[in-house]
Amino acid sequence: MSLPNLDALQVIADPSRRQILQLLTQETYNINALAENFDMSRPAVSKHIKILQQAGFISIQEIGRERHCVLNQKGFNDVKALISHFDQFWENKLSKLETILNKKKD
Amino acid sequence: MKTEINHKWFYSQAPEEIWMYLTEPELIAQWIMPNDFKLLLGHHFTFRTNPIPSLNLDGIFHCKILEIVPLKKLVYSWKGGPGNNETIFDTIVEWTLEKKDNGTELRLLHTGFKEENVSILTGMTEGWLKKMEKIENLLNEK
Repeated sequence: MSLPNLDALQVIADPSRRQILQLLTQETYNINALAENFDMSRPAVSKHIKILQQAGFISIQEIGRERHCVLNQKGFNDVKALISHFDQFWENKLSKLETILNKKKD
Repeated sequence: MKTEINHKWFYSQAPEEIWMYLTEPELIAQWIMPNDFKLLLGHHFTFRTNPIPSLNLDGIFHCKILEIVPLKKLVYSWKGGPGNNETIFDTIVEWTLEKKDNGTELRLLHTGFKEENVSILTGMTEGWLKKMEKIENLLNEK
């Protein structure tokens, strides 16, 4: 099955694919469970999943014999990196202020 | 997931002195970053440091003063991104000073980190999905 080459905008312009993403914000689904939420055939759902996967929106993890769809974690990881950066940043700054204030006193 | 930063620090100086270090540009620059801060409600200013490529930040933080309670509280917004007015996070920095017997307790609360701030392309939020629908409608109308 050949997949159309879509840009990110085209990928999520499709209502079914948006719905898949929305379902996956709640929990992970295997492909069959995901397909039950739609009127279309399982191969049709499968194709949407492949398109989402190819565009980097979701990834598929094999757990035992089942294939689970999960939202790509990149977005979450980016936030974590940002928070941990500023967490450290502020701690360093507060400590630096203490050093500056105490130096002045001497 | 943790979405805020919270720090508490005790200084043996009086609130008046700590307040100066929060509100005078030259003093702020000594411990935070070069800036064009002005203690004026609604004033827009920037903090400038070197780019942080690993976080996709150009090192210029855009801020706006949101609240001033002299010697007690200072709140400003804190935005950043890769440049070209693109914002990947839009947060709030809140400073609170509390006078203690032998000094000042300074509290920092940095809030507003959200997934959608940095995961625009992963399209995980409902709000954003709605926006996409709107774009789709506009495209279809054409």
